[in-house]
Amino acid sequence: MSTFREGQNQAHPNKSNTLILALIVILMINVSIQIWLLYTALNNALAQNKDIAIPAFLASIFLFLIGFFWLYYLPAGAKKRKVKQNVNFTDTYH
Amino acid sequence: MATDNKDNHWKEDFPIEQLEARQVTRRDFAKFLCLVSGGLATGSGYVAAKAHLFPGEEVQGEHFVCKLDELPVGGTKSFVIPGSMIPYVLIHVEDGELRAYEQKCTHLSCAVFYKPGTGKIECPCHNGWFDAYTGEVLAGPPPRALPRLDVVLKGDGIFVTAYDGTSEQVQS
Repeated sequence: MSTFREGQNQAHPNKSNTLILALIVILMINVSIQIWLLYTALNNALAQNKDIAIPAFLASIFLFLIGFFWLYYLPAGAKKRKVKQNVNFTDTYH
Repeated sequence: MATDNKDNHWKEDFPIEQLEARQVTRRDFAKFLCLVSGGLATGSGYVAAKAHLFPGEEVQGEHFVCKLDELPVGGTKSFVIPGSMIPYVLIHVEDGELRAYEQKCTHLSCAVFYKPGTGKIECPCHNGWFDAYTGEVLAGPPPRALPRLDVVLKGDGIFVTAYDGTSEQVQS
């Protein structure tokens, strides 16, 4: 029975390519929102409006957790996949 | 030629190909983005903790700055409240009103100056402008108004207290 990881490793490179690009785009969007949250929280805290600081922190943690668990879907590196696929052929080249 | 095996031993200790060392893979880039994300979340936590657990202290009591006749109309006087390092500026605006603000721009903490005759406070570093009557930002990069102190006139003496937002305007 193939697992998710095996299936992903056997996927066509075009598919893995699209997946990794989508992952990076989502992570970049998350980081952009977090920068905005930090900037807003800091400016409001310095202007004595500290009520926004905790919601901004919780939102930032939430976005980080999304990004962290998102990494599970990161396809294995090309090198690792290559080694696995060619493991039986390496001896024949010598 | 010094190309014997002896010279290549370092490769066994550092078995990383040149291409691998130079190029950042997309996997590594994604992981780095996640690390940055964690850093930003930590920063937000620091801001929240500092705002709620260690709020900045307000100015306590009244503090004498100078006598009214020492401050001509359109003139300013820089001062520091005893026990604090924050620089303030007292402004005698042309229509006779007195105002006191922190003399640090809210953008990058440059010293701000009153421009006589304009009713505006200028930050010369990045061309930021504040209203001399309210401290609000008029133009430029500053993200928020200048922190303000209340001015109290007692006889001939000018005193400052913490700003409570409800005080009447002080006229000289």
